[in-house]
Amino acid sequence: MTLVHNWHLGRRMEYPYFESRPKRQFAAIFNINRCIACQTCTMACKSAWTYNKGQEHMWWNNVETKPYGGYPQSWDVKTLKLIDNGENTWYTDEKDEKLSPYGVYEGDTIFEAAAKKNINQWAVGYIPEDKEWRSPNFGEDVAKSNKPDEYSSLPEHSRWFFYMQRLCNHCTYPGCLAACPRKAIYKRKEDGIVLIDQKRCRGYRKCVEQCPYKKPMFRGLTRVSEKCIACYPRIEGRDPLTKGRPMETRCMAACVGQIRLQGFLDDNPKNPVTWLIRHDKLALPLYPQFGTEPNIYYIPPRWAPRSYLRQMFGPGVDEAIDKFMVPSRERLAVMSLFRMAQSIIFEYKIEEGPKVFETTIHGKKFEMYNDTVIGYGEDGQEIVRTTIEEPIHIRDPKHYNSI
Amino acid sequence: MKKGFSLLKYSLPLLGAAFLSATLFAAEETAPGVKGASEEEFTPAKEVLTVKYVQLDKPYHMDVESLKGAFKDANPVKVPLQKQDKAFPNGGGSVTGAEVKAIHDGITIYFQITWSDPTKNARSIAVQEFRDAVALMFPLGAVEITPAEHFSPRMGDREKPTNLWHWKADWEADLLVKGELEDVEVQYPNMHDDFNFNPYSAYYHRELITSVEVLSGGRAANNLLSQPGRGRTVEDLNAEGFGTLTTQDHQDVNGCSHYEDGVWTVIMYRSLITQDPHDVQFVPGGNAFYNMAVWNGGEQDRNGQKNISTQWHPATLEKVAWQ
Repeated sequence: MTLVHNWHLGRRMEYPYFESRPKRQFAAIFNINRCIACQTCTMACKSAWTYNKGQEHMWWNNVETKPYGGYPQSWDVKTLKLIDNGENTWYTDEKDEKLSPYGVYEGDTIFEAAAKKNINQWAVGYIPEDKEWRSPNFGEDVAKSNKPDEYSSLPEHSRWFFYMQRLCNHCTYPGCLAACPRKAIYKRKEDGIVLIDQKRCRGYRKCVEQCPYKKPMFRGLTRVSEKCIACYPRIEGRDPLTKGRPMETRCMAACVGQIRLQGFLDDNPKNPVTWLIRHDKLALPLYPQFGTEPNIYYIPPRWAPRSYLRQMFGPGVDEAIDKFMVPSRERLAVMSLFRMAQSIIFEYKIEEGPKVFETTIHGKKFEMYNDTVIGYGEDGQEIVRTTIEEPIHIRDPKHYNSI
Repeated sequence: MKKGFSLLKYSLPLLGAAFLSATLFAAEETAPGVKGASEEEFTPAKEVLTVKYVQLDKPYHMDVESLKGAFKDANPVKVPLQKQDKAFPNGGGSVTGAEVKAIHDGITIYFQITWSDPTKNARSIAVQEFRDAVALMFPLGAVEITPAEHFSPRMGDREKPTNLWHWKADWEADLLVKGELEDVEVQYPNMHDDFNFNPYSAYYHRELITSVEVLSGGRAANNLLSQPGRGRTVEDLNAEGFGTLTTQDHQDVNGCSHYEDGVWTVIMYRSLITQDPHDVQFVPGGNAFYNMAVWNGGEQDRNGQKNISTQWHPATLEKVAWQ
């Protein structure tokens, strides 16, 4: 074991390999508040990568309803139980912007729990059986009623559910990679994408067992495991549509609800993904306590009970929801870039516009400016330009009835 | 024919280089989670396995029943097995011993291994299913195993390569069922359907799902485990330490098995001499060393989770009649 720094946990933790961060990390932000669970992302992925024989049970991208849904069934509850040592708490009195932005996690990660339990493998985990991969949307739209007799009202609804969009997190410290006794799993230095070498894999299912998010999947037909490949040909700019520019994955580009923004986590503070995650802290990692430093980030749903959300996204939840409900001028501008382009946006610039609206939200003043947001590609060329207010087009009376 | 031979000659150094670079990378990475071997592990076992010379009329169907007579006079050696406790993930321990017999007819060498396993696990299709298996391991090249040699009996070591023969119960089932890869639809129809009683869905999209071979990752990558019609039950491999196990490009070993009353009997056979530099070679009248491991699929055994012998075992090949 070596000690590596995990900024989600705000501390160093044990991992079988040295810390080796990619040049830039594949990452995405999902705004849970906007998702309608149309499953267009799910089908975009399915029709691209997993429509073949032996992949019937595979949904590299899936959308499940929380709290009751799960694919595979109850994956998160089962893994949380494995790392529960009775005191999985966070110390939040001191924070460091760079090293511990959410405070310090004091419980066990999947790696530390394995070492403590002395089970002689790298991480705790379990293999979901074939039956658990069935019915991937079981529990859809089923609400939890904390107080059945009361009407729901903000800030926390008493009857609630929300949609959880999931794919491989392309973790900085992947559980699957640590688990593989053959080094058949690798994390690419150029973009941090985690892949299973289909030639080297021998179907041991240690990755299926030790990935806490249960995203590597065993394929009975080929007797080896497969997982989300982050549409790497698109990320490499090999899709003719974007003429060599890095392109967002199928699931991101297909998002009807415009909840997704994909890009790279890097050191550029004007990168929209980096800004929302590292600087604004609006988007939070999923189950950071697992310790893998996952790279899909979520804007938490503002109506769900905070204690549930804190368990799921860590102690940054309250601040993120406050920020989402009353967005600052810059935040509103950056959030306007969601789904404005298929090419990956590497940098944004804001051109200021006039004030168009003001109101009070939960006692806080909110002002809206019609700023223009410009997104630039990897080559520095402008790829998208949009305004906060969507332009209104009034149809000519002679076309009222035409489409 | 001549052209083919010269191609083979040139490709061998390339193969060797590729293998070496792969193992160097892996050997550097195996340090964490691996405990050092003890001195007694470098000392070979005392009991010598005599590989008996028999004049054998090769049966048309190679199976345990028709080879039974040939093994009649071969002396068995009992190999104690234990849990693999050195490299993560540790595991095994459910099979405590196996019995090995060996014969040769001057052309082919046969090893027969028997062990007790109350469950027959000959399918590896559902995510929680693991196969029964057995492997023999031989040091590659002319190696004399002595304590001074420090040749690890656990998968070999860097610059101390091994040749492994890995018999798999599901490969044998494949071969017997269809002569090719066991078909998921046949063996476990509608595995991923929400309801077990739906008889139609496996066929509903059959044209689509069988049309694109390139999306069968393991098949497209030429992974032997994924190939349909591999035509054998034993995989021929090399290793230079933990995590370095690599399938050979040239497969030379075959085998057959029989399971009855909670006992597996597996026979693995190969010609004494092959042209492959990555294969162990056997000379009548000469010596050899072997080691072995058994996987109990019912106990979720696979990879390092296995029942192993922690010593090399010596063997002597009897001379052929005309020597």
